Amino acid sequence: MAKKQKEYKMKEPWNWNKELKLLPGYIMLILWVLLTVVMIGWIFAASFSTGREIYKGDLFKFASGIHFENYITAWKAQNVSLFFLNSLFYATISCVCIILISAPAAYVLSRYTFLGNKTIKTGFIMAMSVPAIMVVLPLFSLTSSGVLSKVPGRLILIVLYICMNIPFTTTFLLNFFGTLSKTYEEAAAMDGCSPMKTFWIIMLPLAQPGIITVSIFNFLAVWNEYFMSLIFASEEKYRSVGVGLFTLINGLKQNGELGALFAAVIIVFLPTFLIYIFLSEKIIAGVTGGGIKG
Amino acid sequence: MKKNKAMIICFITPALITFALMYLYPVIRTILMSFFKVESATAGLTEWSFNGLSNYISLFKTDIFVESMKNIAKIWIVGGVAVLSLSLLFAVILTSGVRGKNFFRAVIYLPNVISAVALANMWIQFVFNKRYGLIHSMGKTFGIKALSGLDMLSSDTKFWAMLIAYCFGAVGYYMLIFLSGIERIPSDIYEAATLDGATKPKQFTLITLPLLKGVFKTNITFWSVNTISFYVWSQMFSPVDTEKSTVVPVLYMMDIVFGSKTGSSVRDAGKGAAIGVTLAVLVIIVFFIFNKLIKEEEVEY
Repeated sequence: MAKKQKEYKMKEPWNWNKELKLLPGYIMLILWVLLTVVMIGWIFAASFSTGREIYKGDLFKFASGIHFENYITAWKAQNVSLFFLNSLFYATISCVCIILISAPAAYVLSRYTFLGNKTIKTGFIMAMSVPAIMVVLPLFSLTSSGVLSKVPGRLILIVLYICMNIPFTTTFLLNFFGTLSKTYEEAAAMDGCSPMKTFWIIMLPLAQPGIITVSIFNFLAVWNEYFMSLIFASEEKYRSVGVGLFTLINGLKQNGELGALFAAVIIVFLPTFLIYIFLSEKIIAGVTGGGIKG
Repeated sequence: MKKNKAMIICFITPALITFALMYLYPVIRTILMSFFKVESATAGLTEWSFNGLSNYISLFKTDIFVESMKNIAKIWIVGGVAVLSLSLLFAVILTSGVRGKNFFRAVIYLPNVISAVALANMWIQFVFNKRYGLIHSMGKTFGIKALSGLDMLSSDTKFWAMLIAYCFGAVGYYMLIFLSGIERIPSDIYEAATLDGATKPKQFTLITLPLLKGVFKTNITFWSVNTISFYVWSQMFSPVDTEKSTVVPVLYMMDIVFGSKTGSSVRDAGKGAAIGVTLAVLVIIVFFIFNKLIKEEEVEY
């Protein structure tokens, strides 16, 4: 449907009368986009400049050359590399585990009727709107003196990130499995394939598009996560990029090392930005396609 | 059938365990905790002493908490009206047949994938900076003294600076939800209306808005849920110490449970739990009010 519309639009000739009517709309869109572009462009330029140039407002001239060393300062001296690798580690591991736990659950919830099926579905939907503030206190006592206190620091965050994203992922995949035809399973059963095997070798690969979309979301969510990392990273070396960036910003500001500050901002921003450039269509379709109903 | 039962249990148990660990147990314990005097979040059940509603009562007698509730109410109402109307506006513009729809849509949604800390920094260090920031240099270029001399980060205007920056990032998400709602309305309804002579604004108020009721409800629910968790932005705009102008309930909770950065306040985890419960109850009330207020007729296209 979307593709068809696109082709149709390509062929549409310029109709100045029509475009003129849309002018106020264009102006608003362009102003908004301009603000976004100027903001990101300025930060980018600033990350290659010296603190003095930034203070004088002499960006984009690069009078004293392009200062790559800002990135080196941020990456090495300011420990951004550690926070960056932490976040990468948290996001990748939890993305895989989330799918391994959610996909089977979503599958049986969408395919089989059993006692409690509806309750579980509702439970997951409600869990999506439980604010973090309602769960952090007991979780904190579990991790600092309770059953989870023996779990090493990084693993605690990974476990939390996995648990946090299960409700959304399960609901999303549940809807996705619902769109797959039942004939695959029927054919597999006919050939004597057990239901469990059918899931792992036939249905899971079929669900790949949905799994990819939801994993992008999970990756972004874990990468940008702030609150949990702030509370549950027991030592500085376990922090994720968000909290790491927050702690080093104040120091850099006081030293006047604005260049390195903006370089750190860019380093944190770049991975999600690149993912977005390549996968924005998938992400946008995911926002409106998933668990959200009108 | 027997086999299936084993499979269902095998497949669903891990997910249920995470649910119990992350949501069921913590939520129940937080609710209980809010009725007890608990000093430290790590205190065992034996150290709890029941004190009924006094956590709640003393919260509402605390100035800074009342202030934080006022702030969150302002964010919810002013920010909500601004974000929902801007996102609806953009959704309508994008579906009115403009060129480059996918590009505009992608750029407007972009802030949602950026870490809030990075995004807040772009605003604080660039747009609002009074020495070299965007507002300052715009004022200078166009000779508007009111703009070039404006310090948005002074304590009078800090709250609004924070709210503007936050709303800017939020618009894209709600726009996407409105957009999908509008796109689901079949185009022949509009064609028929055009044939009958209905103007574009009339079509908007008489067709689009009524058919978007459900989407409005969704967006208001999401906005409420997101607003009560408001925290990072507040911390970014008052990085050193809790300030009256930008304090929000979650920030106050962090102060009284984990100790404020100045280390002055007494720890009180029971009160912290009461803040969480208060916010959750508020969201539930809002949800039911809007459910009653916005009656959705079942429409089948």
